[in-house]
Amino acid sequence: MQLIEKLTVLADAAKYDASCASSGAPTRSSKGKSGIGSTSGMGICHSFTPDGRCVALLKILLTNFCLYDCQYCVNRRSSDVPRARFTPEEVVTLTIDFYKRNCISGLFLSSGIIRSADYTMEQLIRVAKLLREEHEFRGYIHLKTIPDADPLLIAEAGRYADRLSVNIELPTEASLIRLAPEKQLRTIKQAMHSIHLGESEARVEVRAPRFAPAGQSTQMIIGADATDDSTILHTAASLYDNYRLRRVYYSAFSPIPQSPNTVPFEAPPLLREHRLYQADFLMRGYGFEASELLSGPGNLALDIDPKLAWALNNREHFPVDLNRAEPAMIARVPGIGVLSAKRLVALRRQRRIRFEDLTRLRCALEKAKPFIVTQDYRPVQASRESLLLRQQLSEAPAQMALW
Amino acid sequence: MHSAHFDGSFAGWREAARTLLCHGLAPHQVNWRGDGDSGGLFDQAPSPVNTQPAAEPPRIPRQLLELLQSAACFRVEDRWSLLYRVLWRVAQGDRAAMLPGDIDGSQLHKRLKAVRREVHHLHAFVRFHPRPETVEGPQLVAWHEPAHDILHSASEHFAERLGRSTWLIATPDDGIYWDGRHLHYQRPCPDEWQRLAQTPEDDGQALWLAYYGSTFNPARLNRSALENSLPVRFWKNLPEGPLIPQLMSQARAGAQRDGQATAVAQQAGKSIRYNVAKKPPISGNADPAPHH
Repeated sequence: MQLIEKLTVLADAAKYDASCASSGAPTRSSKGKSGIGSTSGMGICHSFTPDGRCVALLKILLTNFCLYDCQYCVNRRSSDVPRARFTPEEVVTLTIDFYKRNCISGLFLSSGIIRSADYTMEQLIRVAKLLREEHEFRGYIHLKTIPDADPLLIAEAGRYADRLSVNIELPTEASLIRLAPEKQLRTIKQAMHSIHLGESEARVEVRAPRFAPAGQSTQMIIGADATDDSTILHTAASLYDNYRLRRVYYSAFSPIPQSPNTVPFEAPPLLREHRLYQADFLMRGYGFEASELLSGPGNLALDIDPKLAWALNNREHFPVDLNRAEPAMIARVPGIGVLSAKRLVALRRQRRIRFEDLTRLRCALEKAKPFIVTQDYRPVQASRESLLLRQQLSEAPAQMALW
Repeated sequence: MHSAHFDGSFAGWREAARTLLCHGLAPHQVNWRGDGDSGGLFDQAPSPVNTQPAAEPPRIPRQLLELLQSAACFRVEDRWSLLYRVLWRVAQGDRAAMLPGDIDGSQLHKRLKAVRREVHHLHAFVRFHPRPETVEGPQLVAWHEPAHDILHSASEHFAERLGRSTWLIATPDDGIYWDGRHLHYQRPCPDEWQRLAQTPEDDGQALWLAYYGSTFNPARLNRSALENSLPVRFWKNLPEGPLIPQLMSQARAGAQRDGQATAVAQQAGKSIRYNVAKKPPISGNADPAPHH
């Protein structure tokens, strides 16, 4: 099989993993040195495909031969897809060629499970080691971690990779048992724990070798099973807490060729995925708790964003006086982000905030209006009922899942 | 109206602005003439600035100078008046002028944001073409068309990235060449550089194009998200640009149903026979030798 054919198969096989971040790595430079590659902490999106997703890394599988039969996965052993396997040298060649062309900032390598978990993990490590040691590659490396692999192998992977990730795949153990019979929640969490431990040790011990400085992430598939958003967000929150994950990615289940009956064959729920990302962002960046966004079982509203939904359910906190409120409370106003909140606080040190300042800061005024007070403005809607406001602010039903 | 003439560079503007500030010339009294303008019809007003400075130079926060320098990269008909207005107001003690919520500050920050975005576009969307090893000159060449004057200040990034490889980026206005040790910046861009960058002898793009087509998931087709992140003006200089409309129409014509790349769907499949009852899952042996 030609290299280009392998690449075609093994990129297609890897594209269902949503992660593409190349951020969070320490500053490395190749200026005046042999070898190539740099990282600056900020990620770079080098291209975008027509699905609007970014291309930051060469995202491929080492092989899509796989012993597992995860129902949601295009590479499950019962799937009738073309199969291929790269040699480690081939992956190195592709990475360096694309990197020199400035098409990518590094490599995101994963693999189907072949022979054994340990063997598979060793193969992934070999590629990273070749890149780092033989080719003095200083770009970004993200390695997928195989849950059942020996913790010593995970420790070795962490020395070469900027980021490690273990996919939780499904939000509940019951779904995992039903759809991914060979995977176990216990070993997935063990692997996350090993990575977390490695990170903590490297942080505490000054002379310890570096360990996955860009931390770990995971991915949850949305819509392959019947789990609701509340369970998903609470699962994500506990992963952030327990293992200090940098990111949880939500991947709307996308129909696969020769789909088994156990998973839906319909358009991916893109709007639902979008709302989950918004809610996740509120948890990571705005100090919201999962239980504030969804207190009982159920799903996030699709017609309004989760911050607006929270504000409508908690009218007692509003309207917020932008000239007096705590910055954290300003950031909780619908239509005003963390950055705008900071800018408002900087501005009010100079003078009183007026309504037109919000226009200049490009806040979403329609959303913010019912919830704020400025020097020259009080909302007439302040007493209006939440239900009425919601109808007014609801987004036109977006046809995000055209099929 | 005083006409302030300078060479069009930020350093030149800074000198001129300092002199004007010392003489207490307010923004509405100054007409900026950078970029080699020869002056206009109403330019005869005598210059009051040839005398000794009227006052001590005002103290300007370093951070403001950095903002102004960066905002000066923004291409616009009259790029200097706003900068002087902000400088003037801050020198008068009105520091709100630097802030994004202010009437002038918001303009300044709009320019800063556009410049930052354009720097990011350079770092992201430049595509280098390797040249044959036997030829003289840079090993990698790229043609890029930035919307703002960011090439000079933002190109160091590639020296960090590419180590000792030599490279050249040419644009319609300027060009920059890294010889492995030093950066050489030229404005206007030499014809020879433009020729090298626009006619690369590169026959190795097929792998990247194959990857781009295969990493796209047709089931998630979303044109507006694509155009927000990858503005259409860049498509023509990206090797993957011509693929975009093709992939979109393939997606609409059927690939959107199950998300598989057309090139993969055309190949014969292979499910793996594996007896679960006999072997525990992770010690099985379905290990294929790599194909060459």
